[in-house]
Amino acid sequence: MQPRRPHIIVDDLRIGWGARVLMEHVSFEVARGSTFAILGGSGSGKSTLLRYLIGLERPMAGRIVVEGVGEPHRHEGMPYFGVLFQSGALFSSMTLAENLALPLAAWTPIRGATARYLCQAKLDLVGLGQFAELLPGEISGGMKKRAGIARALMLEPDLLFFDEPSAGLDPITAADLDQLIVTLSRDLGITVVIVTHELPSIFLVADDCIVLDKASKGIIARGDPRKLREESDIPFVHNFFTRSSPGASATRRE
Amino acid sequence: MEVAVRTDREGRHACLVPAGPFDLAHVTAVVKAVATAEPRLDGCRSIDVDLADIERIDGTGAVLLAQLLDRLEAEGLRTQVDQSRNPEAARLIALYRGRRAELPAKIRAPGVFARFGAAAAKFPGKILPAFDFVGRCAAALPKAISSPGSVGWRSLPKLVQEIGADGLLVTSAANLLVGLIIGFLGVSQLKRFGSVVFVPELVVVAQFRELGPLVTAIVVAGRTGAGLASELATMQVSEEIDALRSMGFDPLRWLVAPRCLALVVILPLMTWVGDVLALAGGFIATESITDLTPRTYIVETGAAITAENLLSGLIKTPFLALAIGMIACGQGLATRGGAAEVGARTTTAVVQAILGVILIDAVFTLFYALVGI
Repeated sequence: MQPRRPHIIVDDLRIGWGARVLMEHVSFEVARGSTFAILGGSGSGKSTLLRYLIGLERPMAGRIVVEGVGEPHRHEGMPYFGVLFQSGALFSSMTLAENLALPLAAWTPIRGATARYLCQAKLDLVGLGQFAELLPGEISGGMKKRAGIARALMLEPDLLFFDEPSAGLDPITAADLDQLIVTLSRDLGITVVIVTHELPSIFLVADDCIVLDKASKGIIARGDPRKLREESDIPFVHNFFTRSSPGASATRRE
Repeated sequence: MEVAVRTDREGRHACLVPAGPFDLAHVTAVVKAVATAEPRLDGCRSIDVDLADIERIDGTGAVLLAQLLDRLEAEGLRTQVDQSRNPEAARLIALYRGRRAELPAKIRAPGVFARFGAAAAKFPGKILPAFDFVGRCAAALPKAISSPGSVGWRSLPKLVQEIGADGLLVTSAANLLVGLIIGFLGVSQLKRFGSVVFVPELVVVAQFRELGPLVTAIVVAGRTGAGLASELATMQVSEEIDALRSMGFDPLRWLVAPRCLALVVILPLMTWVGDVLALAGGFIATESITDLTPRTYIVETGAAITAENLLSGLIKTPFLALAIGMIACGQGLATRGGAAEVGARTTTAVVQAILGVILIDAVFTLFYALVGI
């Protein structure tokens, strides 16, 4: 099989706050059309790295190259990616349809019936077609995340970032959401970068991953998560993928 | 290539050929091309769709084509998409096919009279929780006295600092300016009767009895009322209040009581400082535009400052403080929903607190007038 072209290239990134370095020598590539997971324990900097990838923070050193930015079919300045934030980040004073219409109003001349049509189609795609006129406060957490995905899709990005999409959801809703992510990646050909530490999600959606470690201030493993689970001899990676505690393994060894 | 939808007809059969970029950037042209193509298919029974000339397609273009095909099928036409000519486009269009034939009916915005009626109908529902809150506060008071450990006393010094010390500059500046205004106004009016000597008394009476408490309370209602309401509203939406309840704390005693107490203690002091500065303002105004000697002004001011004038103003301030605290905290605790509700409740708290302060002041003034104070 021919290797896929890289969509994102992260080259020797160093990130941190003030003089404090959180991570350094971070380099990896995300293949176009793949689902890439950023993994690690709590406080390892997964969500922070995501903030740099989506341009909310400037790195101390290194570079992030996104292939295809500034393609002629997109308006100048139009975001080339969509983001699903942990809480869905819907505007609470607007209905779901109005939330979805917002990026269209900002970046396209689409208004009125066409805009409503497109919003409706995206809500249908994520299974929320019946709830277009409801406010975010009137729907469940899982539905908010689905609506957040629909909003992220409004500008037809070819790159989607997800920050802990399964956080706070019951296993069935989380599995539904994972399935939706797989569908988006497979049917729409979107590159997906997902920050998570939910093992079932990782094994279902991710083709490739990196594992971050707080102590090492960087990446300690990369590759197919299923292979890492079976083959990695790094204790943290092994414990992470097998959901075992270092204390428990030490006790077993004794 | 320009966006177009060609319709090659052969009797009752047609071949639909979308061409050009079918994407978000060209959506206006796509909508127009689809709309012009549709009438040309009238009378057809079957349509083949050839996607080979589509230069680029994304979800938006796919939605518009899918909905055209859905509409045609709803009218009884048979459509056939040739998937081999452009599999990517065919897959995208298939993803959006059969999702929804019609848009859900948009809820019509109610008219002015309907909105007025709806607001009136909601009024009892709004006023009853306010009474309920006042009642619960009154019920919490004896509990707070009998069980002092249930009140968040440790927050009191910080609240006094935030409400009092941090806000003193604003209330002082407002009162100083009010003193200047009364001074200038008094001089301009009383000068015509040769009674400039009564300006100090006017400043004292107007400021001590009415304007001092009122201006200070309005500034505090705006500054502190907004702060308290948004703080408690944010705690409410982030479930901190629920967490307090789950741990057995009564938010009225733990949060509302110290805030109201801090206001009751601080507002009279701020008013008193404001009164002193207003006297200075009146002095500056009078001395700058009249020949009245400073000594005369000070003597006349001293004569006008009576216990009656001073206390009739200061005695209102704990009531004004209580109104500000209870309205702000009540609105904060009544918050439901998200960020927008926090803003709405904060605005309501400030508006109601200012109106409440003016109303209470008016009641006191009416009472003084009736009993002849």
